[in-house]
Amino acid sequence: MHERMSLRARFALFFALIGVAIPVVIGIAMWLAVQRMEDNPVPPLVLFGGAASFALVGIVAWVAQMFDTHVARPIVTVSRDLQTFMHANPEHEIHEDEARYLGVLGPTVRQASEAMRQLRSDIDAKVDEATRSLEQQRLRLETVLRDLNEGVIVCNLDHQVLLYNRKALQALYYGGDLGLGRSIFTVVNRPPFLNTLERLRNRFTSGRYKQHTDHLMAPMVFATPDGRHVLQGKMSLIVDEEEKEPQSYTLTFFDATKQIASLATRDRLLRDALEEFRRPVANLRTTAELLSQSTSMPAETRKKFEGIVAEESKELSDRLDALNEDYQSIATSLWPMSDVNSANLLSCLARRYRDHPVLRCDVSGEPRWLHCDSNTVIELMDRLIRGILEESGAQTYAVEATRGEKRRYLDISWGGDPVRASTLESWLNEQIENGAGTMTGYDILEHHRSDAWCERIADGRSRLRIPMPDPVAEHTKQESGAPPIRLEFYDFDLLPRIDDGGDLATRRLRDLTYVVFDTETTGLEPSNGDEMISIAGVRIVNGRVLTGESFDKLIDPGRAIPKASTLVHGISDDMVIGQPPVQDVLPRFRDYIGDSILVAHNAAFDLRFIELKEKETGVRLDNPVLDTVLLSAIVHDHTDQHTLDAVAERFSIEIPEEKRHTALGDSLATAQVFLKMVDLLEANGIRTLAEALAASEKLVQIRRRQAEY
Amino acid sequence: MEERVSPKTVLVVDDESNIRMALQFLMEEEGYAVRCAADGDEAVEEIKKSPPDVVLLDVNIPKRSGYDVCQAVRSDPNLDQVRILVVSALCQHVAIEKATAMGADGYLTKPFSTADVVDKVRTLAGRSN
Repeated sequence: MHERMSLRARFALFFALIGVAIPVVIGIAMWLAVQRMEDNPVPPLVLFGGAASFALVGIVAWVAQMFDTHVARPIVTVSRDLQTFMHANPEHEIHEDEARYLGVLGPTVRQASEAMRQLRSDIDAKVDEATRSLEQQRLRLETVLRDLNEGVIVCNLDHQVLLYNRKALQALYYGGDLGLGRSIFTVVNRPPFLNTLERLRNRFTSGRYKQHTDHLMAPMVFATPDGRHVLQGKMSLIVDEEEKEPQSYTLTFFDATKQIASLATRDRLLRDALEEFRRPVANLRTTAELLSQSTSMPAETRKKFEGIVAEESKELSDRLDALNEDYQSIATSLWPMSDVNSANLLSCLARRYRDHPVLRCDVSGEPRWLHCDSNTVIELMDRLIRGILEESGAQTYAVEATRGEKRRYLDISWGGDPVRASTLESWLNEQIENGAGTMTGYDILEHHRSDAWCERIADGRSRLRIPMPDPVAEHTKQESGAPPIRLEFYDFDLLPRIDDGGDLATRRLRDLTYVVFDTETTGLEPSNGDEMISIAGVRIVNGRVLTGESFDKLIDPGRAIPKASTLVHGISDDMVIGQPPVQDVLPRFRDYIGDSILVAHNAAFDLRFIELKEKETGVRLDNPVLDTVLLSAIVHDHTDQHTLDAVAERFSIEIPEEKRHTALGDSLATAQVFLKMVDLLEANGIRTLAEALAASEKLVQIRRRQAEY
Repeated sequence: MEERVSPKTVLVVDDESNIRMALQFLMEEEGYAVRCAADGDEAVEEIKKSPPDVVLLDVNIPKRSGYDVCQAVRSDPNLDQVRILVVSALCQHVAIEKATAMGADGYLTKPFSTADVVDKVRTLAGRSN
């Protein structure tokens, strides 16, 4: 019956109740007073007047409470729901049943939100369609850029990184933490950048670039801050379309450390050789000339000189051997080569014969890593196989990468006699078709410091063997399996950002940089012996969670992990064996954070652990901190469910089960929750960091006072 | 009656006359009977005509390379007794492996010491029985 009444009728009922109650209560009181009034009117009047007042106050209070429960609260809930729906979570459901006493408000709001959802969905579909082809193109460009063999970095004119690809990350990993929005000088040394950029800017402003052969590009050599890695590349200045203003610069580069070292070694060898050979050659020449020209040399002297000739010849011979050893040890040649997996190389080769009328080529044996120029090697092997086919008529070949005692080989085997050495030599002296420029087989072998020969092996088969250089890098089994991760490695919205060091507190929340972090611990009592066992963080730059730039480390707590705690976060004692201690991890975490604002769910808990380690680790975090528990209480004040699970559910953020209660998983979830909260905070008039911090502080004060009661 | 043991024979194959002369002199001093060949074809001819005990074989020779000569000798079962010592200016490790794979019994890098040559020839000649 209650629900069928209209809202106004209900309100009218409430106030009618008050309106009726007042005169009734006063009437009763007066009548009772009058009953006793004969002797002394004042005390009964006061008594019953007082009683009447209390009764009235009680009734008003009761009405107010009913009003709050049935009207005010539901209105607030519906408003919050509507706000959440509008600003943070299009999937959020309006709690219609909460508003059941508000008449048609509940159903109407629900209908409106559904209509809105539908409209949004329609718009999204249209937008998706329109951007699909654009997205495909972007993906392709991204893939190309990401997997380029050269490192690529784009920076704004304040040297903040706007873009970097995988190769850049690999090459500069040693120097520090490369990341979007960060200064590039965390990973490279300054002077080459400042000088080259200045030169390019001068070239631009003076207009000289129009005639310059390199236009707005200049070659550059730079290094990691510790100087151990040298990189060589080109810097290009990017100007805006109207060519009025430089905007940013691009850097393409490769790690030249090995190459430069090898060139330096070669120079040194040559220099030393010249010096070292001069002396014995000089002696030899003098002595030999004397012996041959002198007719009157005493026999004893002659014998002495003959001894010298023998001695110096040996000396020269020894030095030649030593020089050869040194030369052999210079691994890299100038021909571009890389580590190649033989499975790829050989299947590429075998594929050539798929449609061949007679030739069959099978890849056998285990895959092995080799260091070579796969293109020219494939051309060479193809030439050899076709030669063998013509020479011997053998139709079936097996190609394999093998590993011998001293080196690795590429082997071609077939049933039949070996090819004559002179025939093989003639093939290798021919120019290879489809090679890069004019190259003979011997040239290709020379690039690889190799040779080729034919020999008989078991079962009436023969083999053509080509030694190959060992791979340069260590390759472990895990490498080839994982699919490429799509990283957020660029953000051109950072282009115009100039860090004027302006007041952090007054900048908009959505423009700031954050690190959202979480820890896993052995228990809940930091001051009672519990320790951190895992710490993770993700960066938020320009409103985007950079999943590709996360921090995730296990910590050896130096104590046993209780089984109950392992059940929560899945970290057991043997997982932390060999992990670095907190003294190593926290300083690296601080470097990762830099000047970012810290965000965590129940930040006080995590920060307390870090604080207690200040003495041991020297790490003190002075960054401003936002706690998503407090922020949730601000934006969702209609509920008291502020656990990470509850908040995530309200925003329709899914946390995969296996990631829940891992530091990284929780950090990622908190980061996504935080971004949604920023939207809601703005809707509630909290736009800057100062405002957010003030609102949080206010809530803390309120809670503290409440706890005191 | 004393049995006359015929001297071991050595074939020197090198296109450089200086080296041929030097090695011939050296081997004769050591008591070997020495013949020479200046190119690959001549070398194979000499070997087939009258198989020597040891061949001192340079790889970089005209007409047929030393490797080719090596291969030809090894593919003839009648020449199993012939020991081949490859002498070469190539001192890459790969070159040595190649020579061994082609059937050489030993490898010497130029410049070599006369003592080394004598030593290796003596060892190989001993094996050719």
